[in-house]
Amino acid sequence: MMQTELPVKGEERFKIPGKYLLFLLTLLCAGLMILTFRSSFLSGVFRTVGSFLVTPFQNGLNQVAVWISDQADRLDDIERLQEENRLLQEQVQSLTTDITNLQQDRYELEQLRTLYALDAQYEQYNKTGARIIAKDAGNWFHSFIINKGSQDGIMVDMNVISGAGLVGRVVECGTNWSRVQAVISDNTSISGMVLSTADNLIVDGDLELYEQGLIRFSKLVDNAGKVKMGEKIVTSNVSDKYLPGILIGYITEISDDANNLTKSGTLTPVVDFEHLETVLVILERKQSGGDE
Amino acid sequence: MLMKRMIKVVSRRVLFTLLLIVICFALQTSVLRLSFFGNVSPNLMLVLTVSLALMRGEIPGLLTGFFCGLCVDVFYGDMIGFYAMILMYIGFLCARFHKMFFPENMMMPLSMIFVTDLIYGLVCFVFLFALRARWNLPHYLFRVMLPEALYTLMVSVLLYPLVLRLNGWLEDLEQKGARKFV
Repeated sequence: MMQTELPVKGEERFKIPGKYLLFLLTLLCAGLMILTFRSSFLSGVFRTVGSFLVTPFQNGLNQVAVWISDQADRLDDIERLQEENRLLQEQVQSLTTDITNLQQDRYELEQLRTLYALDAQYEQYNKTGARIIAKDAGNWFHSFIINKGSQDGIMVDMNVISGAGLVGRVVECGTNWSRVQAVISDNTSISGMVLSTADNLIVDGDLELYEQGLIRFSKLVDNAGKVKMGEKIVTSNVSDKYLPGILIGYITEISDDANNLTKSGTLTPVVDFEHLETVLVILERKQSGGDE
Repeated sequence: MLMKRMIKVVSRRVLFTLLLIVICFALQTSVLRLSFFGNVSPNLMLVLTVSLALMRGEIPGLLTGFFCGLCVDVFYGDMIGFYAMILMYIGFLCARFHKMFFPENMMMPLSMIFVTDLIYGLVCFVFLFALRARWNLPHYLFRVMLPEALYTLMVSVLLYPLVLRLNGWLEDLEQKGARKFV
């Protein structure tokens, strides 16, 4: 008797109606959302656990994808390379003469740079290279995962650049990975300034405008009306997350706001976010003098 | 004895589902983002949730949705629990059609995947964009939601039969175990 009864009991006990489970998990989700909306204490724990499960898979799959595309490219390459080789031989001739001229120019340029103390500031920062191993899971915001983390000396809020200019900043950091939020992401805003006039403005990422390769800026105070199209916009001195003087992009459009005090418009970022593969992380954080 | 066997069956299913989630998540975030599709990635998490909800019913469906969403939350969300909640409800609602489900019928699961992906996009738009006063629905519809839903549909034409076959194989295994037990 006992033996026939027990399993039945066990089976009944096992069946929780789906509605109750749904209700419980909804409460759990709501609780987690409230807890993690402002503080990152709990999400840090989750992320560390998750990264050990998923990062190796992502790394491996990425390598497979790169390998496949390499093989496909190789066949095309042979034909193309032969043609290219011929053209390049011709170019070498003309370039050799160019180089001699350029070397002279460069010597002159270097002298002028030291003279004007225009040596770009971010050439002096300590940097480390990193490879992008995964993109955002959704399609609404632009962030990506790089293959270096706290064990390589990366910390949250470090700035990320690529050869041409500002890419974004590190917003999360695991032991062997970190998440970078791009400047074009819809939920970022940066304090920037116009290089030539040092007027401050706010640069906002915008998903809608990014389709046209643009990002929005606003709150530019320019009473003298000196700021024109094509001016360089760099990160400002007063930004609390970004190091000063990193190039963001060029103004493509500018117009007066309705209040007649400020101006807004769009700018073209210098970094090509579609084809980004490797980035540089600046291993220095801005000292904002706040409570940090 | 029966209890013990049930635990074995359930834990095998759980392990199988977890492995599937991790692999799909890694695929979704790395290789499947293609530029000719407007640089969107397919929503494999949603495909998994809908197909498992249809095949296995209410509780497995909503749990799969919950853990799929948790994966996305943990890596990319600003707050944990948002995507988990959406996918959980999708799993729960799709399980309502569990009784109408036949393995031979491919049209119903595929059309459900397409429709739920649009709903998923709409919910994301309302809570993540409209609440921040970004109203341009047609733009987001044509540039994000529709490409994502179409691409997801294309991928699920391949992924869904695979999940179906794996699930069938798992059920066969369980039945064999049951016969041995009897």
